[in-house]
Amino acid sequence: MSHLALPPFPHPAKLRTTPQHEHMERHRKLHGRRMDAEERERKKEARSVHKKAQFAQKVTGIRAKLYNEKRFKEKAAMRKTIAEHNERGNKHANDDAVADGAVPAYLLDREGVSRAKVLSNTVKQKRKEKAGKWDVPIPKVKPVADDEMFKVLKTGTKRNKAWKRMVTKVTFVGDNYTRKAPKYERFIRPTGLRFKKAHITHPELKATFHLDIIGVKKNPSSTLYTNLGVITKGTVIEVNVSDLGLVTTSGKVVWGKFAQVTNNPELDGCINGVLLV
Amino acid sequence: MVVYNFKKIAAVPTAGDMVDIVLTRTQRKTPTVVHPGYKISRIRSFYMRKVKFTQQTIQERLGGIVEDFPRLNDIHPFYADLMNILYDRDHYKLALGQINTAKGLIDSLARDYIRLLKYGDSLYRCKQLKRAALGRMCTIIKRQKAAFAYLEEVRKHLSRLPALDPHTRTLLVTGYPNVGKSSFMNKVTRANVDVQPYAFTTKSLFVGHMDHRYLRWQVIDTPGILDHPLEQRNTIEMQSVTALAHLQCAVLYFIDISEQCGFTVAQQVGLFKSIKPLFANKQLVIVVNKVDQQPFETLDPEKKAMVEELGKSSNCELMTMSNVTEEGVMDVKSRACDKLLQARVDQRVVGKKVNDVMNRLQVFQPQARDGEVREAFIPDSVREAKARGEIGSKDHKPKMGRGGYAVTTDDVNGDVNMERRKTERDIMWEMGGPGVYSMDYRKNYLLNNDDYKFDVIPEIMDGKNIADFVDPDIELKLAALEEEEDARIAEKEAAGMGEEEESDLDSDEEAAVKAIREKKAILRQKKQDNRKNTAVMPRSVRGRKKDKHDNAMLDKNNVKKTLESLGVEADGIVERGRERGRKRSRKDADEDGMDVEPVDTSGMSNKELKRHKREEKSKERRSVSIARSHSKVREPSQQGLKDDAMKKVATKKDMLSKRRFEGMSGEGDQRKTVHLVKWMNTGKKRNGTHNKR
Repeated sequence: MSHLALPPFPHPAKLRTTPQHEHMERHRKLHGRRMDAEERERKKEARSVHKKAQFAQKVTGIRAKLYNEKRFKEKAAMRKTIAEHNERGNKHANDDAVADGAVPAYLLDREGVSRAKVLSNTVKQKRKEKAGKWDVPIPKVKPVADDEMFKVLKTGTKRNKAWKRMVTKVTFVGDNYTRKAPKYERFIRPTGLRFKKAHITHPELKATFHLDIIGVKKNPSSTLYTNLGVITKGTVIEVNVSDLGLVTTSGKVVWGKFAQVTNNPELDGCINGVLLV
Repeated sequence: MVVYNFKKIAAVPTAGDMVDIVLTRTQRKTPTVVHPGYKISRIRSFYMRKVKFTQQTIQERLGGIVEDFPRLNDIHPFYADLMNILYDRDHYKLALGQINTAKGLIDSLARDYIRLLKYGDSLYRCKQLKRAALGRMCTIIKRQKAAFAYLEEVRKHLSRLPALDPHTRTLLVTGYPNVGKSSFMNKVTRANVDVQPYAFTTKSLFVGHMDHRYLRWQVIDTPGILDHPLEQRNTIEMQSVTALAHLQCAVLYFIDISEQCGFTVAQQVGLFKSIKPLFANKQLVIVVNKVDQQPFETLDPEKKAMVEELGKSSNCELMTMSNVTEEGVMDVKSRACDKLLQARVDQRVVGKKVNDVMNRLQVFQPQARDGEVREAFIPDSVREAKARGEIGSKDHKPKMGRGGYAVTTDDVNGDVNMERRKTERDIMWEMGGPGVYSMDYRKNYLLNNDDYKFDVIPEIMDGKNIADFVDPDIELKLAALEEEEDARIAEKEAAGMGEEEESDLDSDEEAAVKAIREKKAILRQKKQDNRKNTAVMPRSVRGRKKDKHDNAMLDKNNVKKTLESLGVEADGIVERGRERGRKRSRKDADEDGMDVEPVDTSGMSNKELKRHKREEKSKERRSVSIARSHSKVREPSQQGLKDDAMKKVATKKDMLSKRRFEGMSGEGDQRKTVHLVKWMNTGKKRNGTHNKR
């Protein structure tokens, strides 16, 4: 959706013009309010908590679900703010507190520094480098069996032949693909399940882009699936990132990059993935 | 004519509410039960329907919003400009545009998901796809949160805008703040605008209505404007400028010559000059206000000259007025109205449409065929009344008749010589008031001859006058007959005086007769008292049986008592009754008939005794068979049946055959049930293949 460069919507109530038919305000202006108006408002406000609680107990059905969901969110938000306010008054344990009394010389330089953490970080880093190129966000995937992937189509005049298969998962098919003659076409990839675009998140930018798919690099379940261009959870696909304006160290524009699919496209109706950087 | 009423725009829910509305509607209006055992096509269509329905609901709601809000290009430029000032045209268009885009997005999304659902191969997959579809639709709606909130506020404000018709006859009041615009408005209309002694009391346009020359006029009160460039004007002032720019109206420019508003006359004249372009093609009146504080005549000559020069240069009228003393208010109003009316008429005459109207209007004056004067006919009574001054003059108020009411001072002080027509009411009071006097309508009859008025109207029946059949002497004859009758009665009475009827009964008998009569009367009375409102069945029909049930009646003591009270010797009767009541048995009959001596068995031998016993038995049997030998006519229904057992079976069968089916709702229930209903018992019985079982 295109947003024009405009400030957020103004609030017309803030306009200092009151239209002709503000009956309530006019009446208040003419006759004032009742003497106990403020008191009543305060009491109403004070009682509203109990009223709401009563209603939450009484309400049933879908309304109850919706209402309680809303109420839960409100309460959670309130608890958070209260906790935030309390944060200021809380006393924290001082991590790098210096121990009281005399300390041996060999312990002096360790004060307040947690070496263990640094060490573990370096180890992790090394392990990561060792792990190699294909250390992907979803390292393990559930294999997809053939009978889940393919639906057997009966052919022949008497419908007694069963050598044809239809792919039941989302596929990527290149632009210049032409179907073979029916006699030789063993695998059918239905047009309704063909996808051309994917929502790819850049993990560092924390932004998602709607990018063109260039090809399927690897489907972890089977090479057959890779060849057919089937996209399931964990599949590595190549996407067109030319819109992102990424450049290599040598200054060339990168246009193709790998990304791993993080959702089940056949269940969600869209492909979501993470860019492998 | 387009009517600008923005009150009918439906409320715009918040984004959260919109999601709730849409999803609950889907939940309520689409089926909710589905099982994995159903045919996959059925499962698919179940979820497709949900997606489609949700999309349709959203389309309806969002489409409704886009339709409801006025399009700035379609409405009158005055309103378009006003909305631009109040709500910002760009934002307004953007908000509506975004909602329209969202609508389109949701449509294409639903299309995509329905296509995907066609390939769904399990309930789980279909359900997940539906879930994803609805979720994405709701996300799109939620993104429009700001637009929804903005439009709702706009709607609220818009619905409170005054209903102003840009095309009608309009007076527009303008000038610096606090120069008395709103006070004038309150004087000429009933708008009741707030008037306060500080600047910018009026913050928006106010509309009031008034009548002038039997036409409806609208008066627009505008916020005051200051003298600075257009770019620096704030929202409040811009509303005035918009109204001035776009409305065809008569403008009243107010100048406060007392300078109490805080602006000098020179400043006010300056403002006039700077906004003069807005007055082009409008009927302008410069109103010199607050002359009660500072009369125009005694104004500083310099200022006076300035104001007068203003009037001359802009070729418009200068009028003085004061809201406090109401001096000149009506003049200003009527002058401005007349000017505008004249201008509107002129405009019409210049235009093309006028020919259509002019063709329709023609006034003909017939040519005089002779010298005779033909004036309007005025009745003499009217002429006289006019001469007396009762009617015709402007201030004439007809004198009301007050007959029947208490005399008031009005009547006493009123015109003594007043010649008032005597009404029926007056006559009624003279003759004794209501109830005593009733009006004779005959005197007002319109007849050829006034003498006929009170004539008796003949009564006609079957085309004949009833009076023709009446004997004129009938009264006399009747009187004669009655006289004769009286005479005869008198004669008879005189003849029978002091005599009684003879009776041949002695005193005892007479007493008895009297007693009997009395008793009879009592019985009759009793019977009448006991009588129920039912038909009494005569004894010949009902038989004696019914009476027999009443044991008390048949009790011999009672019978005796009753009969003796009637003076009848009862002993014999009672005895006879007792005899008749005793049962007759076969033995009795034997005793009555043949006297059989009992055989003495004491002296018998065993053999003899046995024989005797045998004989006795056979005799007994024979007696029964003899009884049966009499031919006994059987009922037709039992003829041809061998014995009791057979008869019993036959009776039972008969009873069963006659017994009818009786349904739940009594004997009126004629329903026939079928034991095996074909459609209920044939075919497959898989899940969901039948509605009923």
